[in-house]
Amino acid sequence: MSRRVAGAAAAIALIAGLTACGGGSDAGDTPTLTFWMYQPRTPQAGQIYEDLRKGFEKANNVKVKYVQIAKDDYNTKLSSAIASGTAPDAGVLDQPLVSRFALDKTIVAVPDGTIEESAYYKGALDTNLSEGKLFGLPLDQTTVGLFYNKKLVPTPPKTWDELKATVNQIHQADSKIAGIVVPKGDGYGAWMWPGFVAGAGGALTDDANKKVLFDQQPAVDTLQMWVDLLPSSPRQITDSDNAFANGLAAMMISGPWDVSTIKDQFPDLDFNVAPLPYKTEPAGNIGGENGVVFSTSKNAALAWKFLQYITSDANNAKFADAFGGYPTNVKAAEQTAATIEPQQAAFLEQLKVAHARPAVPQWIQVNDEIIAPALEKALSGKATAQQALTEAADKTRSLLGWNS
Amino acid sequence: MANPVLADRSTATPDKPGRRPRPGFGRRDHVVGWLLIAPALVYFVGFLLYPAIAALYYSFTDWNLRSSPSWVGLSNYTDLLFDDVKYPHFWKSVQVSLLYTVVAVPLTLVAALGQALLVNAIRRGSNFFRLLLFLPVVTAEAAVGAIWRWLYDPQYGLINVILGWFGVPPQNWLNNPDLVIPALAFISAWQCGISMIIYLAGLKGIPVSLREAAIIDGAGPVQRFRRVVMPMLRPTTFYLLVTGVIAALQVFGLVYVIFSAANKSVTGGPEQAGLTYVLHLYLFAFRYDAMGAACAMSFILLVFIMIITALQFKFVKQEAA
Repeated sequence: MSRRVAGAAAAIALIAGLTACGGGSDAGDTPTLTFWMYQPRTPQAGQIYEDLRKGFEKANNVKVKYVQIAKDDYNTKLSSAIASGTAPDAGVLDQPLVSRFALDKTIVAVPDGTIEESAYYKGALDTNLSEGKLFGLPLDQTTVGLFYNKKLVPTPPKTWDELKATVNQIHQADSKIAGIVVPKGDGYGAWMWPGFVAGAGGALTDDANKKVLFDQQPAVDTLQMWVDLLPSSPRQITDSDNAFANGLAAMMISGPWDVSTIKDQFPDLDFNVAPLPYKTEPAGNIGGENGVVFSTSKNAALAWKFLQYITSDANNAKFADAFGGYPTNVKAAEQTAATIEPQQAAFLEQLKVAHARPAVPQWIQVNDEIIAPALEKALSGKATAQQALTEAADKTRSLLGWNS
Repeated sequence: MANPVLADRSTATPDKPGRRPRPGFGRRDHVVGWLLIAPALVYFVGFLLYPAIAALYYSFTDWNLRSSPSWVGLSNYTDLLFDDVKYPHFWKSVQVSLLYTVVAVPLTLVAALGQALLVNAIRRGSNFFRLLLFLPVVTAEAAVGAIWRWLYDPQYGLINVILGWFGVPPQNWLNNPDLVIPALAFISAWQCGISMIIYLAGLKGIPVSLREAAIIDGAGPVQRFRRVVMPMLRPTTFYLLVTGVIAALQVFGLVYVIFSAANKSVTGGPEQAGLTYVLHLYLFAFRYDAMGAACAMSFILLVFIMIITALQFKFVKQEAA
């Protein structure tokens, strides 16, 4: 008898455990839009998302359900959801993933007439392109600028020549101080590099004509310029933890996330941020997130409406700020510009001339596995800039199957 | 009864049909039994067996996690091994992991044995020191990464300060391609606590009579260590060697933490010097959208580990002597 009871209890416990995994449904009369996003960075950011959600629900008489996932797990969870047919209606997507998701038709193109393109920053909008068509709306954007220690660099260099001169002068004056933290030949450095290439009037690729361009003069000059900075910016100094914040390096290239970190942890450091020095024209790189609608969504029209809502003149400044980036909507950015801290202004300014990454599905792999090692090869002196980039461009052509 | 081992066993405990009740599914105690092991079984099948079989299947497909996998036969395997356009760093990652294994495993074993001998020799407070030496094992990997980045700092790092006392110029440990693997191996040796405990158990298992006999025969401490302790520890060393090699070939977390925290980049450190096999696999699975190829990499590693392990069983002495 007692055995039977134990067996039954075990069976019940097991069944209860299994069913607990299944979710309940909260279907009502009002349409519900599911939106996947990263977990809020701060409680304040969470509150902003909530307020925006309520505003949209009220105006449209619908429900919006946020699913907030830790950023590190986001892409994996999203892929699993798509594979198992439980993709949300809409969601946040890292810029370089848009062309990949577009390629396998996981996301849908922006319907004609949905947006006024001129309302958005061009660089940010371009990050949604795949084969010439838009597949999402830019939610927020970011870039890198030139951080400079005001004690060591009274006026920030505007051009490459000024940058080189400043860097040499600082290291000559005090050999314990590096002129600038030169970016590395790794995935992160390879992400920043195109901003400099664009500053020399170049580009990495011509997507429309399937051409690799980073073995040409502007790109070679850019890499050579990085190489030229190294003698006055020894790695032995700049590889130290927080070399810029500790005053060991007079300048560094980094993004807005470091502004708040330095202000919190190094309150005594007197620094400001300037746009990236350029050779022929001001330019920058771009990062950030886009909003996309998944092809399985039954509420696509509503989903686009929601994405328009969070990228609108009225709301995008709040949303982008909560996300940790800058608005992609031009009018919203004007609001941000009016209230911004001085160290943030340069980023916002530079985003006007920022260039999107190549819209190539394999770009992250090209960035990490081909361009990054080529940069490192030249920076470590194992090849000239031209040799390293010629080799890398050829590898990229083979990988992508492009002829030129 | 072709298998001699089975034959031996069956003569020792005769298992003739009809002697005892044969197992069957109809009986109630079997139902209860199955239910009791059900959680473990569900876990094993759902989280170990099924994923392993699925991964084997996916290794023959082109799959980006999102759309349905398409069968490509052996091409993932052949491309990984022979196509350096698609996988330019595959062999580099093999080389990095092998180098790491060759440096880290002996270093870890020596450190563990050294610590075990010290703890074993202490009369009082050995628990305290055992705890201290074990702490690195239970410290979160992210914290370990942060601490060692400071210790290896090219300007302020304690390691450079200590080496400076002996006239060694400061090194840029985590950014010099030649020093990355030794630096990582040293961290793993610092985390040798589990091996240390196992060695300690091995030391406690050596009969005191052996030591006494050796002393009576006039053996000094060095001779006792070489002729008594080391041979008696051989099974322990063998076990630690085999498991250590397997773990070292799979090293991932530490490299990931060290390089992603230091450079906001997970691409494996300077000139891919820290791009271990499993880090490379991870990048293809979750960053470059090539889960099929990543699964193939995991099976190549499995076969490689099986071969290495078999070789160790064949060529390394494992019996206590």
